[in-house]
Amino acid sequence: MEGESIYEADSGDGLGADIISTVEFNHTGELLATGDKGGRVVIFQREPESKNEPYNQGEYNVYSTFQSHEPEFDYLKSLEIEEKINKIKWLPQQNAAHSLLSTNDKTIKLWKITERDKRPEGYNLKDEEGKLKDLSTVTSLQVPVLKPMDLMVEVTPRRIFANGHTYHVNSISVNSDCETYMSADDLRINLWHLAITDRSFNIVDIKPANMEDLTEVITASEFHPHHCNLFVYSSSKGSLRLCDMRASALCDKHSKLYEEPEDPSNRSFFSEIISSVSDVKFSHSGRYMLTRDYLTVKVWDLNMETKPVETYQVHDYLRSKLCSLYENDCIFDKFECAWNGSDSVIMTGAYNNFFRMFDRNTKRDVTLEASRESSKPRAILKPRRVCVGGKRRKDDISVDSLDFTKKILHTAWHPTENIIAIAATNNLYIFQDKVNSEMH
Amino acid sequence: MEFKLEAHRIVSISLGKIYSARGQRGGLKLHKNLLVSLVLRSARQVYLSEPGCPPEPPPAASGRGGPRLPGADCEGPRPRRCCCGCSCCCAAAGGEANRADCAAAAEAAAPPPPHCPRKRSAGERGQAGSPVKKPRREVEEEPPPGEQEDMETGNVASLISIFGSSFSGLLSKEPKGRRRAPLDGGEATVATTPTDAAAEPGQICCDEPVLRTLNPWSTAIVAF
Repeated sequence: MEGESIYEADSGDGLGADIISTVEFNHTGELLATGDKGGRVVIFQREPESKNEPYNQGEYNVYSTFQSHEPEFDYLKSLEIEEKINKIKWLPQQNAAHSLLSTNDKTIKLWKITERDKRPEGYNLKDEEGKLKDLSTVTSLQVPVLKPMDLMVEVTPRRIFANGHTYHVNSISVNSDCETYMSADDLRINLWHLAITDRSFNIVDIKPANMEDLTEVITASEFHPHHCNLFVYSSSKGSLRLCDMRASALCDKHSKLYEEPEDPSNRSFFSEIISSVSDVKFSHSGRYMLTRDYLTVKVWDLNMETKPVETYQVHDYLRSKLCSLYENDCIFDKFECAWNGSDSVIMTGAYNNFFRMFDRNTKRDVTLEASRESSKPRAILKPRRVCVGGKRRKDDISVDSLDFTKKILHTAWHPTENIIAIAATNNLYIFQDKVNSEMH
Repeated sequence: MEFKLEAHRIVSISLGKIYSARGQRGGLKLHKNLLVSLVLRSARQVYLSEPGCPPEPPPAASGRGGPRLPGADCEGPRPRRCCCGCSCCCAAAGGEANRADCAAAAEAAAPPPPHCPRKRSAGERGQAGSPVKKPRREVEEEPPPGEQEDMETGNVASLISIFGSSFSGLLSKEPKGRRRAPLDGGEATVATTPTDAAAEPGQICCDEPVLRTLNPWSTAIVAF
């Protein structure tokens, strides 16, 4: 993998508003959207490859920036609603405009992104600045013509889906029917129509009648990429539930429950926390699901509910440090995971700005670091290693010197090519594998 | 023994997290607090169920003056005890101390849950003659879980606890100075779900005296 580009967001307010909170490629990979803690969305566009500047081909540059969400105050509950963007999901492109959904804890918004690169000139009644002309000066009529102008990207909010959620929204997912989408909070999942903002259907509700009986919450959810009736949601207990919307209006009863029995030898005070699933992603094929819990990523076959088909250790050396990680809250970090376009490689982030990739075919894995030193343009990323005692090679990092404040929670993989976007605090790294199209 | 120490530490840390969760921007995070409460419950179960001598209190436990009777509760499984004010509660080692305990428990007129006796084990630290319980209550850094189980019997019926009944068992008698006004004027109610009937996320409606004990927990519950 080569270092490609780094984008650092720093508005200088020092409040951490630039911390990137979500990263998402659109369906073609031409656009890459990031959301941050300050409620802003930045969209990058890939430069078309040109023969004139072969080395600049495929670079991502800022395309548009807009403020998606603002902080709000819920007066009834005396609670502030954070403007942090939790998730962004692109809609499949249906015309010249691009659309995306962005959500904070409570409100989902549909944004339309359009380009304007021409402007009409030669009005009869208005002058260049738009002021009305003195009619006596108009001696002949002309037809206004469209003249090229500097590209302007306009972003407008088309829909605002508010008041659908009592608890904090953790995920949104657009249905393959391109008409509906779902939003999930800790206890409920709602189904919306993209054109209707004043109504949504509740399709999952796991709130117990007595909140004292609460034992698990919904942590992530996603629609199946091809079957518009299927979706999955993960829970804090480490289970996945596949639901079929044809079965009933309220999908409280799952069609399939994916759960792996706990390994009793690994039992600790923190077993429950580390089994909580922080992210779930269907493979592009729709055959598998990828889940991330605190220490592992697992691949599940939709046809097998009893256990995952593959389990990969992300940073097992942390298993003996769970108590410290609990103390400093790191154990609650929610890492995301991603498939590559061909579903042969999976990727997830870790600490110390490390991220990991696992090749499902060769069973090889690699640890890479997103740092400025390693990310000069066209610099090759060097694999890193964490040593846990025993022989220590040069350049190894010991577990105790890992920086737990540098965490890579959000990663995204281009839908078809070997381009990855890594969010490291307020920096966005984009890496591209130009040489091979496979893992090496 | 090590487990007990670690469990105790985890209990303290967890309580601290819940306490500090109240000030969070964006409101309480249900997921995180649920996980913290699960850890709290596991740690407390270990802490209370582990047989053998209790650890020497860490220096912070200023309230626990007096030497411990080392053999006092190095017993095996404890005999079942009734927690609601019967004098039989105090039959264990450290009679006087336990009497104070029972008096506290007697405040709440609820039948003892079956698991209560076991959990009292931590509270019976066998300090003959010294009024251990009172100072111990003041020590909020390490709320003695066993003692709080005494409160649980009474309070559980009138407390609203999101994270499970064991949660309410950890409520300690906070020093009076830390009392907070009831959130909505302090209507007495039971631990059903008036929260749902009220506003969702609901606000707790509690007895004034119960609220006193609720102090560190009200924040955990408030947002919902």
